[in-house]
Amino acid sequence: MPFSHHRLKKAVRRGAVQGCSGRAVARLLFLLVLMSGWGPVMAELPVPEGIVVPEDEYEGKHVPQPIEFPHDVHTKVNQINCMYCHTYARRSKVAGIPPTSKCMGCHKIIATDKPRIQKLTEYWERGESPKWKKVHDVPDYVHFTHEKHLKRFVFDKDFPVEDVYQVCGVCHGNVMEMTVAEKQRSLTMGFCRRCHEANEGPGDCWACHK
Amino acid sequence: MSLKNILENWSAYRKGAEEGGHHQYEHQWGMAIDLDLCIGCNACSTACYAENNLAVVGPEKFAKNQGMYWMRIERYWDQMDEEFSEQGASFLPMLCQNCHAATCEPVCPVAATYHTPDGLNAQVYNRCIGSRYCSNNCPYRVRYFNFYSYYESSWPAPLHMQLNPDITVRDKGVMEKCTFCVQRIREAKDKAKMENRSVRDGDVVTACAQACPTQAIVFGDTMDPESRVAKLWRKHQVHRGPYTQRKPKTDPELRGYRIFEELNVDPSIMYLERVREEV
Repeated sequence: MPFSHHRLKKAVRRGAVQGCSGRAVARLLFLLVLMSGWGPVMAELPVPEGIVVPEDEYEGKHVPQPIEFPHDVHTKVNQINCMYCHTYARRSKVAGIPPTSKCMGCHKIIATDKPRIQKLTEYWERGESPKWKKVHDVPDYVHFTHEKHLKRFVFDKDFPVEDVYQVCGVCHGNVMEMTVAEKQRSLTMGFCRRCHEANEGPGDCWACHK
Repeated sequence: MSLKNILENWSAYRKGAEEGGHHQYEHQWGMAIDLDLCIGCNACSTACYAENNLAVVGPEKFAKNQGMYWMRIERYWDQMDEEFSEQGASFLPMLCQNCHAATCEPVCPVAATYHTPDGLNAQVYNRCIGSRYCSNNCPYRVRYFNFYSYYESSWPAPLHMQLNPDITVRDKGVMEKCTFCVQRIREAKDKAKMENRSVRDGDVVTACAQACPTQAIVFGDTMDPESRVAKLWRKHQVHRGPYTQRKPKTDPELRGYRIFEELNVDPSIMYLERVREEV
């Protein structure tokens, strides 16, 4: 959501923000506009059918990755399903990041002239995988399984698999509009509980805490 | 479970649904431990250490009774051998009895220990504030407190690689106890759910039962009438519910008993031992 700087401007006019020179305020405003991703307004993620999406406001820090992986190009432009690369999501607790071989399956041929792909190819030729950093993480005392959630909300309900990004987006935000993944949901216990209450998930402490 | 709820429904929380209480069980995990088969080898204890990320505290702290041993082998002697004092011990594996009317549960000020719909006596580590009331109220002495942080001392690199990721590494100030290997129960239930079936007998084997060389430990769902453990309980005429269950002493085939049954805690572990006349 773009940050409303009108409110701040008004506050400055009212004299609520005191002790700032005009220049400092301008600099601050410029920074805020930069941070709020002014340019393109993010498209709203469609609410998947049959899920009550819990209310949540969160803006995570940008996590720099070894290669700035463009999720938007893969999922929005080229229409690749989330579960093509994150194939373990429907099979295990974790969604997993794909092995470099999976990247190279396409990128031996596709877009080989791009600097990111050349960097990836360097990793591949060295026999290494890029050290991706984890963006969405829950504490060690939480037991979370992707497979059960996908079963409950996608496979058991015959939810169209090509729209699975909507279900993923309940916790992961609108990844289709991001390059590298950014945390858009707080993933706190309150967030989990709100969703579990609205969608009749288990309410037992030991269902999630280990 | 708020304090108000606990105070208002005090007696209901101490009873099962069949007695008008609150507990609606999905499973009632239980055990049968055959003491006539137990050879006191401590394999169960070792397996428990490996499975449940139990800290090794070292001899000094162990001597101060700060050791973590969710599964311990207690030794008792009928008569002392004067020449070999260690000889002739009887063994009793002692672990959390997961009582259905547990004494530890109502005393927790933050409801970090509570009863699950599985009939397990749960300990939520991240909720525990370390008041140690539960441990002091436990008649079996099977709750262990982390007086220190043992992560550095117990698992120096590369030993931390052996830690089980399915269970928390407990830190300083947290009470812990046997969970009936809840991570294995959880995994079996998840797997059963993925296959659209209910948990079958034998899907869950606790680490101690798996390691026991004489198969003295049988684990299962006592609510499932076809499970091995339920059959054993029935065979030895031990059933759920508080109060002491009196059995005819003349029948040598009825070996089952539950420890401290007379305290009305309704423990989930049945021990089997033939009562010997010579004692």
